[in-house]
Amino acid sequence: MAAAALAAFAAVGSLVPHFLALPNLLNVVRQSSIIAVCAVGMTSVIVIKGIDLSYSGLLAFCPMIAGLMMLGGVGVAPSLAAGAAAGVLMGLFNGFMVAQLAVPAFITTLVVGQICEGLALLMNGGRSIGGFPDSYVFIGNGALLGVPISDYLMVAFLLVGFFVQRKTPLGNHIFAFGGNDGVLRQEGVDVKRVQLFVYGFSGFCVAVAGLLLSAQLDTVHPTQGDAYQLDAIAACIIGGVDMAGGSGSVPLAVVGALVIGCLRNVLDLLGVHPFMQNVLVGTIIIVIVFMSGQVRRRNAMATRGTL
Amino acid sequence: MSSSSRSGAGVPSSRSGGLPAALREFAGAHVSFLIFAVIAALACASVPNFAQADNFAVVVRQSAIPIIACIGMTMVLMTGGIDLSLGYIVGLSSIVSGILAKNLLLPAPLVLAVVLGLGALIGLANGAIIQFGKVPAFITTLGSGYILYGVAQIVSQGSIVNRLPAAFLAIGRTSLLGLPSSVFIALLVAGIFQVLIGSAAFGRRLRAFGFGPKAAGLSGVPVARINVSVYCLCGALAALAGLLLTIRVNAAQPNMGGGTFTFEAVTAAIVGGTSLFGGVGSVVGSIFGVLTIKIIENCINLLGVSYHLYLAVQGVIILAAIVLGNLAHRRG
Repeated sequence: MAAAALAAFAAVGSLVPHFLALPNLLNVVRQSSIIAVCAVGMTSVIVIKGIDLSYSGLLAFCPMIAGLMMLGGVGVAPSLAAGAAAGVLMGLFNGFMVAQLAVPAFITTLVVGQICEGLALLMNGGRSIGGFPDSYVFIGNGALLGVPISDYLMVAFLLVGFFVQRKTPLGNHIFAFGGNDGVLRQEGVDVKRVQLFVYGFSGFCVAVAGLLLSAQLDTVHPTQGDAYQLDAIAACIIGGVDMAGGSGSVPLAVVGALVIGCLRNVLDLLGVHPFMQNVLVGTIIIVIVFMSGQVRRRNAMATRGTL
Repeated sequence: MSSSSRSGAGVPSSRSGGLPAALREFAGAHVSFLIFAVIAALACASVPNFAQADNFAVVVRQSAIPIIACIGMTMVLMTGGIDLSLGYIVGLSSIVSGILAKNLLLPAPLVLAVVLGLGALIGLANGAIIQFGKVPAFITTLGSGYILYGVAQIVSQGSIVNRLPAAFLAIGRTSLLGLPSSVFIALLVAGIFQVLIGSAAFGRRLRAFGFGPKAAGLSGVPVARINVSVYCLCGALAALAGLLLTIRVNAAQPNMGGGTFTFEAVTAAIVGGTSLFGGVGSVVGSIFGVLTIKIIENCINLLGVSYHLYLAVQGVIILAAIVLGNLAHRRG
């Protein structure tokens, strides 16, 4: 998988002019960082057999809160904290609906996303806001030692996501829940807490991604999240996160995000219209989920005799 | 009206007697109607200019097209799936119908047939990928929704087709008894699907499939055919809704429908008593669901509040319906 990605990368690099230029590559990584941070949160949600469709709304809702606070004279740090807290709260609410009321994840997250989009539109009458303090815009566009701050953030989220998944008991429970939640319940693990954490963390990731996006653009637009939700899901799927739950790795999902970022960038450089790009990304999602399902079934058939 | 007719064993029989029990029984069976009645009564009482014949006609006219789409969504939700591409089928069928009717000058019945066929074909593809490809419904339709949206934009070349031919507009605009023909088309569709879901073998099989696909398959229900045909019908109904919306605004545009229209259909279906877990749903319930949310939209307009509020309010209503349904389920 990694070799295939590298080969594709090299092939594209030699074919598309300007793709391998260092400023362009840094730009690709900077743009991919939004998708990557979303993908870190989405990975755990998909591992526990869920999905989070509230991203499109939350990506605008959280920065809209923070942005309005900043323009209202509140300091940058408390504003960002409020935006992130809003994301966590919405995520926890998703988790509550899924864990406590057994509402299918795709319904409750769709609804929460829609509410958040409505609120983001409502808060400023459907208009976008901009002209934020320099220190906030620096987070999106500034660089430290020649590397954009966005990239540091992406790596930080990758490390945190990886650490939680692989090095903590909670991570074990997340994978166990995706594999077979009935067994986990019988073991006496509080599965509702696992679900609450996963959806809450997902809300936190998407809030940070939204705040980062708005810092990069120096603007909050109430429908800015629409494109990123599909890309985040595509990143996870390209990174091998299993839609049937139980397996998926955060680093590979981040690689998936970089693949999507490269793909979009190459198509931009080739002059392919964003609508056409969405057609392509939609097709990729369906094809990969289809193929991974086929592989899973073939493996299941192959091992049936031996067990 | 006897207190023993309640089938659920959760309510002790000593507590339920007389009028409250009868009320509770009625409420259990007609939740969607009760919600509709309460919302309508509240609107009549508190919103100025709501309780007028003209305004009721507006609500009915605005509900007709969403009812058509909502019936499709109801069937899909009854299988335990979802069709997130519904609103984008509306957009594609809108621009396609405009191009066929105006640029290619096809006769109106042919345009109708082609657009319905297109919707059915898209639904067929969704259903086939879900049933035979084993791809989850929300992933398939999320992906196909983006594909259809892109295709619609490419087909339209970024422009709107307006001032459509009169013969084409006549499909949905012919006035009968003071209401446009789209209202009667919606009634016709509702009648057909009431028979199909309510009393035909198709409906029994659909419910069996929704309650448990495995058990349904073992008892001889043609599972694959049911599941695929539901998405196919939903696609055709979405296309019909797109065509009628185009006629109503006299403009074919790829942005018509979209995520908000899909969401409206889901909201109406759930407010109409469709279970999120599959197996339960009805045409009549969904009609009341659409009327309920359209009354709320109407009130938001009459009160001069921002339209954006409608999006958020819909979400809150859906959550309230889910929580209420959950509580009722637990008690029953």
